[in-house]
Amino acid sequence: MKWTARTRTVLVCALAAGVFTAFSYRLVDLQVTQHEDYAMQAAEKHTMRKVLHARRGLIFDRNGELLASNLPVRTIVADGSHIRDPAAAAKVVAPFLEMEESELRTKLDSKKKYIVLQRKLAEDKALELAKAIRDADIRGIYSEPDAVRIYPNGQMLGHVLGFLNHEGRGVQGIEMTMEEALCGQDGYRYIEHDRTGREIMLYRGQEKPPLHGLNVRLTIDMGLQAILEDELDSSFRDLRPEMAVAILLDPKTGEVLAMTNRPCFDPNFPGDSKPEQMKNRAIVDMVEPGSTFKIVVASAALTEHTVTEKTTIYCEGGSFAYGGRILRDHHGYGALTLHDILVKSSNIGSAKMALMMGDAKYYEYVRRFGFGDRTGIELPGEISGLVHPPSRWDKLTITRMPMGQSVCVTPLQIAVGMSVIANGGNLVAPQVVRSIEDADGQVVAERPPRVVRRVIPEGVAGFVSNALGGVVGEGGTAQLARVAGFQVAGKTGTAQKVSPKGGYAAGKYVVSFVGYLPQEDPRFVCLVLMDDPKLASNLAYGGLVAGPIFSRIGERAARYLDLVPALRAEKAGPLALAGGTKERTN
Amino acid sequence: MTVNRKKQVNPVHVSALILCLLVGLILGGSGLSFLYIKNQQFALAEEIRQVERQIADARLLNETLLARVTELSSRRVLQQRIAEGLIAVKPIADNVIARLTPPAAAVEDGVLRTAFNEGTRQ
Repeated sequence: MKWTARTRTVLVCALAAGVFTAFSYRLVDLQVTQHEDYAMQAAEKHTMRKVLHARRGLIFDRNGELLASNLPVRTIVADGSHIRDPAAAAKVVAPFLEMEESELRTKLDSKKKYIVLQRKLAEDKALELAKAIRDADIRGIYSEPDAVRIYPNGQMLGHVLGFLNHEGRGVQGIEMTMEEALCGQDGYRYIEHDRTGREIMLYRGQEKPPLHGLNVRLTIDMGLQAILEDELDSSFRDLRPEMAVAILLDPKTGEVLAMTNRPCFDPNFPGDSKPEQMKNRAIVDMVEPGSTFKIVVASAALTEHTVTEKTTIYCEGGSFAYGGRILRDHHGYGALTLHDILVKSSNIGSAKMALMMGDAKYYEYVRRFGFGDRTGIELPGEISGLVHPPSRWDKLTITRMPMGQSVCVTPLQIAVGMSVIANGGNLVAPQVVRSIEDADGQVVAERPPRVVRRVIPEGVAGFVSNALGGVVGEGGTAQLARVAGFQVAGKTGTAQKVSPKGGYAAGKYVVSFVGYLPQEDPRFVCLVLMDDPKLASNLAYGGLVAGPIFSRIGERAARYLDLVPALRAEKAGPLALAGGTKERTN
Repeated sequence: MTVNRKKQVNPVHVSALILCLLVGLILGGSGLSFLYIKNQQFALAEEIRQVERQIADARLLNETLLARVTELSSRRVLQQRIAEGLIAVKPIADNVIARLTPPAAAVEDGVLRTAFNEGTRQ
């Protein structure tokens, strides 16, 4: 081959073409054939899915008072692969965290890409830390937004509000039942970052904004709640019962205006409390209701025309033999009308009415009053109580159940049962959630009052209500439950405490009073119940223990609600526990 | 062969030159514009990021303050302060109360009154 200029030119061109072909092949190989792999590798290195946290909804009372809110905090994290000098970083960062410098250094030395250094660091501390990091020009320490739930009223309403677990999910109370509405939905954003970890804003990818949680408005009125808490607190300190419950309910709508239990806990620090303190005993504990249950048999007997308003029932002089056992009243009574049976709280009179009605009919009314069923209130863990069907009754049950033995109910069921009398005969479903609202206060979902069923005719409810008015009058069992200026209606309950070993515990009583005012147009039903107050057994009566507490709550609540007194404001008798009536009401 | 070099003409192709220059300018200009716009984008993106951060910080601060205000104005804290004597509750004079419930006289003696049994409280 002749080595001419042309030959040389062709050779150089061929060589150049070969080189370019090789490069082109590699380019196609990188960009087309292996595109997916390399794109994925690049994405893994520079792209990340950033979670946009949804803000948890707030909880308000019926008047807009804030009951649960969020406090922004920071989670401090480190990317070990970005940290050039772990020792220097540890020295700068450690003073801001609850951690020794050496411990922090060990963590940073691990070179892991995601190391959580501290959770729930206060926002102001986090800002100081960020400034220190900037000043020292340290890379690899970052902060992520987070929030802690705060309950500004502490223990007040703790059982109703509940609290969150470490994952931020509700585990008790409204926080749990309304979790779906409150929690919202986290969003996300795909971002690319440079090698220092800073977001390259220009390459922001797909984004879904967070849906913040909805706000929940409760039926609770914190003014009334404060009254209830205050009164129950002082009584709990004085009488040292095993537990105490107080509930305020609007009998017409079923709205729970206030609810409290003792012992209680602070939902800001749930870890400091024992499980026993966290139980909302108004719905998860059951007790024998005692004589408060007599309203059922009285209403049922009147509705079924088993007795009339004028019928008299002979009360055997206080001792009635039935089923091989003696049933006693605490005073010997002769013939009593239905009105007097309730006012005097006669066990024998109540038992005889139930016997006249028969098992099946009486049981039907017990269930119609809502006993034995969950009320459906928006609180977790509610139990249905224990009402055995007649097929499981023994011979004595028909005489024991009317006076509140052989049956177990929750305190809330007692209050709801009394609401039936107060509102003219309807069973209303109790509710603690009033509405669900968005951040602008627009109502998203409303919970209107719900009437479950008509239990008794209005006339019967009126008659029983009238008799219950006599319970706080002269000769009644709850004279200390009077509220000056108002006609009160109510019923005492003094039940022997069931022993875990079987039978009844000697000298231990569950005392209660459930009533409402004003009798002519009830604004609230109030239940006060105490389990085993530490008193001499001759003083442990519903009328003597729970009655005065009801009176004080009623008086303060009436003033708070600006109710106009309709009676001459007599000064109530001394609210001492001693010297009152001596009849035990069951 | 003799060639009169003076007679040889090497014309400058002005139109081609202008075309080349124009193409070069357009390409160069486009490249520079692309770079400029790209830089602008980065600068604006950075500004947006800063503003986003400021808004987020302001929101956080707002929420922090709201939480603090809520806590300090809660019933628990206010009651504690009343108990400590740091604040006092002054009764509102009857003549400055606007009642939603119309005042009514008691049935028996026609005297207006509110409920009471505070004096008998144990």
